[in-house]
Amino acid sequence: MADPGHTINGGGTIIDSLGSEIIGVMSPVSICMLLVVLLISALSPPPSAAVDASTPITAATLVYLESPSDPPSQKLVGALLNAAAFVALVTIATFLIVLLYYYNCTSFLKNYMRLSAFLVLASMGGSIALSLLRRFAIPLDTATSLLLLLNFSAVGVLSVLSPAVPILLRQAYMVVLGVIVAASLSNLPEWTTWTLLLALAVYDLVSVLAPKGPLKLLVDLASSRDEELPALVYEARPTVSRSSNPPIAAAPAFTASIELQPLADTPTAEVSGADHAIVEIEHVREETAPLVGNAGGGRRPESVSSHHSSEIEILETSPLVINEDVGRQSEGPRRSHASELERGIRLGLGDFVFYSVLVGRAAMYDLMTVYACYLAIISGLGCTLILLSVCRHALPALPISITLGVVFYFLTRLLLEPFVVGASSKLVCI
Amino acid sequence: MERREQEEDEERRHLRGRGIVLPAWPTVDGPLGLSPEESVAYARRFFRWGFALLPWLWAVNCIYFWPVLRARPSDFPAFSPLTHLRPYVLRSAIGFTVFTVLLSIWALTFMIGGKPLFGSVWDDLVMYNVADKLGLTGWY
Repeated sequence: MADPGHTINGGGTIIDSLGSEIIGVMSPVSICMLLVVLLISALSPPPSAAVDASTPITAATLVYLESPSDPPSQKLVGALLNAAAFVALVTIATFLIVLLYYYNCTSFLKNYMRLSAFLVLASMGGSIALSLLRRFAIPLDTATSLLLLLNFSAVGVLSVLSPAVPILLRQAYMVVLGVIVAASLSNLPEWTTWTLLLALAVYDLVSVLAPKGPLKLLVDLASSRDEELPALVYEARPTVSRSSNPPIAAAPAFTASIELQPLADTPTAEVSGADHAIVEIEHVREETAPLVGNAGGGRRPESVSSHHSSEIEILETSPLVINEDVGRQSEGPRRSHASELERGIRLGLGDFVFYSVLVGRAAMYDLMTVYACYLAIISGLGCTLILLSVCRHALPALPISITLGVVFYFLTRLLLEPFVVGASSKLVCI
Repeated sequence: MERREQEEDEERRHLRGRGIVLPAWPTVDGPLGLSPEESVAYARRFFRWGFALLPWLWAVNCIYFWPVLRARPSDFPAFSPLTHLRPYVLRSAIGFTVFTVLLSIWALTFMIGGKPLFGSVWDDLVMYNVADKLGLTGWY
């Protein structure tokens, strides 16, 4: 795969080996963007009622709060300052995570992730649900809605990090988290959004590819320890079960064919499983403990806007990661003993969020810009995936997609839209 | 002759379970999911936590261990952990069904009955009115 001649001749081989992975990554991203666009178009206030008093102060508007009457130069400077402050915050947070991970505070990181996932789901998700209830005038009573919200958040927290949930559910919750954060971030003022997106694309590029970039450090550290990334990451195709308890050994006792074999097999399987179960119980206890604290503690009294600063930090962009063995599946013997390490493509939740923020911002203008941005982002993601299959190390997923998306947004808005609207209003058939 | 009977038996079982003869894996994720031994511990935990007003955990249990729920108990091999797993999953399914039915009866009564049925209390119980009263703003 590495030699260039092979790549040129067999472009199909890359697509072949990556085909299902590309779909596995692109479909959740598409669903996430679609949901954000639907949410925004359902919930955006009528233009007459737009009051700027509702724009909250978040981590992304620390320096400057845009108001529509400001001159463009002031908006630009303010937006740049905002973006710089936000990127600085994200960098500090990432370095903090790297430090914590380096000193083996993994349980702290995990609990922090659970806490923030719970807060995102319960408070931000709750407020979005409240807006939806109000928008569609659904007279749900208080007790039922609180009960449903509690259940929704609790299952979400479990599904983010506990192994005992269906993979589909975990993926769905990742998408939901992305949708919620992206929908909240799309409240940012317009200029700030664009500069912020570009700044994050540059930050992503630097921090994944620079020699001492924080995300590169994190990925290297995680792969040298052979552990999961301590971040919220969407996995296209999850890992095969732990190697300590290979499923192949446990499986035969329960398949139909083995039923006919002598029973001597079964007790050994049970013995090996028994001590494993004990370990697992401790593991579960440790995992469910934060759930109790959260459920009893309830929500924070502050309003939604104040949560942003703490939540976004952990959702910073994680790079695309690919395992060495993806794409080499045709090599039979190699695969068989490497299969337990084999992993799908992983995409950071931050990428979901910022793609969706871009599309959501485009949705506030027009549907035509939404189409353009969607196509640009998806093609950028495709380019990144193909690069990934060539480079075989962690790559930033934001730069290509975001750059293409921003360029296409402004091209559509400035060039295509006047043309199409003019043509169709003059009844020119195109 | 005996062999033929066996084959027929096998076929019948196939038909009965619509392809699912036995749960080769306890979870819907197949080889990617938990092993049967781990499953029992998790199912027990989820089932017990479900009583803490978290019936969705029961739903997760049912979905995750769907193959176990579908299979018949007589199909399990004698000493498999799946025999321990099934009661939890079954009880989770019952609990979730009961809970859902009760909750939807209440919620639908509340929604459809509305003010004529509940009087002025209704206004105090609707979620968005309560949120307004508490000053919880929505998203926008």
